[in-house]
Amino acid sequence: MKSTVTLFAATLALTLSFGAAAQNKRDYHMDVYDAGCKTCHDQGMKRFPSDEACLQCHSMDEVAKQTERHGEVARQNPHDSMHYGKEAPCQECHGEHTAKKALCQECHNFDYPKFK
Amino acid sequence: MHNRRSFMKLGAGMAAGAMMPMVASAKCGDEPTQWDSEHEVIIIGSGFAGLAAAVEAMRKGAKDVVVFEKMGVYGGNSTLNAGQACFAGTELQKKLGIKDSAELMVKDQLKSGRGIASETLLRHSAELGPYIYQMTKDCGCVYRDHIITTGGTSATRSHQVVERSGSGFIRPMLDTARKMGVKTHIRHKFEHLIRDAKGRVIGIKVRKGYHFGHEDSGEVISVKANRGVIIATGGFGYNINFRMAQDPTLTSEVGCTNAKGATGDGLIEMLAAGATPVHLAHIQSGPWASPDEGGFGYGAGFSLYNFPHSIAIDRNTGQRFMNEIADRKTRADLELQRRDQDGNPNPALLIAPKHEAKKDPSMHNVLKYNVAWEFDSVEAIAKHFNVPLAPLKQQIADWNGFVENGEDTQFGKRMDAGRGIKLTAPFIVQRLWPKVHYCQGGIQINTKAEVLAAKTGKPIPGLYAAGEVTGGIHGVSRLGGCSTPECMAFGVTAARSIMEA
Repeated sequence: MKSTVTLFAATLALTLSFGAAAQNKRDYHMDVYDAGCKTCHDQGMKRFPSDEACLQCHSMDEVAKQTERHGEVARQNPHDSMHYGKEAPCQECHGEHTAKKALCQECHNFDYPKFK
Repeated sequence: MHNRRSFMKLGAGMAAGAMMPMVASAKCGDEPTQWDSEHEVIIIGSGFAGLAAAVEAMRKGAKDVVVFEKMGVYGGNSTLNAGQACFAGTELQKKLGIKDSAELMVKDQLKSGRGIASETLLRHSAELGPYIYQMTKDCGCVYRDHIITTGGTSATRSHQVVERSGSGFIRPMLDTARKMGVKTHIRHKFEHLIRDAKGRVIGIKVRKGYHFGHEDSGEVISVKANRGVIIATGGFGYNINFRMAQDPTLTSEVGCTNAKGATGDGLIEMLAAGATPVHLAHIQSGPWASPDEGGFGYGAGFSLYNFPHSIAIDRNTGQRFMNEIADRKTRADLELQRRDQDGNPNPALLIAPKHEAKKDPSMHNVLKYNVAWEFDSVEAIAKHFNVPLAPLKQQIADWNGFVENGEDTQFGKRMDAGRGIKLTAPFIVQRLWPKVHYCQGGIQINTKAEVLAAKTGKPIPGLYAAGEVTGGIHGVSRLGGCSTPECMAFGVTAARSIMEA
């Protein structure tokens, strides 16, 4: 019984600390945090959000436009790249609660100064 | 934190256990009482082998083909290479005055295989070359007019797509497969083969919603394969424990060009199912890799273009130490021996003439991303990299003499590959340090791409494999540009076999 209580307490503490961490990450996601975890965690809290979760608000065309590059570096656009086109799911590069690096940077010394 | 994690895991496990009814039978490999979905042909992996199999299966009249990809993106390791494929006897070769044949290509590969390559499988692959060349073009792949001289070849035959990247094959092939009706899914990790009482492979267990590195993510479902399963999951270059078990010299210090998903899951599962392992210890490192970027990067393309007319220098001696277009193993082994006095890596220098290097777009990229640097003189190179000047000057003079005479008396390099190009200032210099690139070993297949059982030497019914997950084709060392056409040739073969079975 005692261990069950400890387990719940620990889980609760973890949930709260996740919540706090999340809210410190991206100011512009405040509305999403306020709307509740399930806004993104559409497959339940124990699972990663689906690859469609971010696309409720964003579209690949829109983000591809935002990170558009021209000329010889056009295909270094992470949202419309030579290797993956517009198909790389958001969570391959972006983490809401965990710091990540862009998939392209595993092999290339590319600079993505606005990457979050 | 460790305790919290354990609690979290425990909590998740308890909750999952309570919520999920036991649908599939508990023991892996047994026929489930209920299938979650079914398809005519299941292909695991979306690289060259998997996509070629998908396109060919549709060409042969399949109605329901599915490709499961473990990672979040398609193309696996295939989409990260230099986009080259060796074909012998093409129109482009004739136009450029290159005499070649499938027979000569097999001969070159057998030599590099050092006596243990499979002549039968190599010939099967080389003879399918013209079909594969046309198939890729039909899919919309576009080749350059320049053919690359890869190491260990007696004729220049590595055809390259304009993107100079495997993505130049993968993207058009993926689009084509989908247009033909192939269903494709990311984040589906192959877990187990499902076999019936007679041992025939009748389906798979696959983890749907899988996120790489989170082995418990998603849920395991059972998928029925009405005709059979094609495993095209690639190599295990990124599985450091597994590769070191085969070859202890391949520590994490060696690096790896592969996509991070190249962990050998498909291979390991087929071994568990009793497939025959072949040559697992023969793991190849790429001699064109740069230590100044991750993975395959830009350096590989630059050095591949420039090796024929450039020299590789040991920084301690200022001298060449290898034939720059020898086969991969020869070069990688020699490059790994370049060390400082304390035994630490002291990567060799590839010195290329800018007047030729600039003809390939790779030069711009290596300079821009600090993978190579430009120098106005031999003195500047010697000073920057701390190389003894006099021997380096002498070496360059000697080399230009070889170019003039058409004979490399130092290392026997095939001088026609360099097309008479002299090494003159200004120079572009890139460092060379091998990275684990390709697993020659894998499970054994026959010329029908059937997987052979270790116990009987006979095919495991319903199970086919193609690409890097298979072994024994290339022997000790695979020649550059020879995996891409072979992956596709056996992908095509697996599809034909499965549709004819």
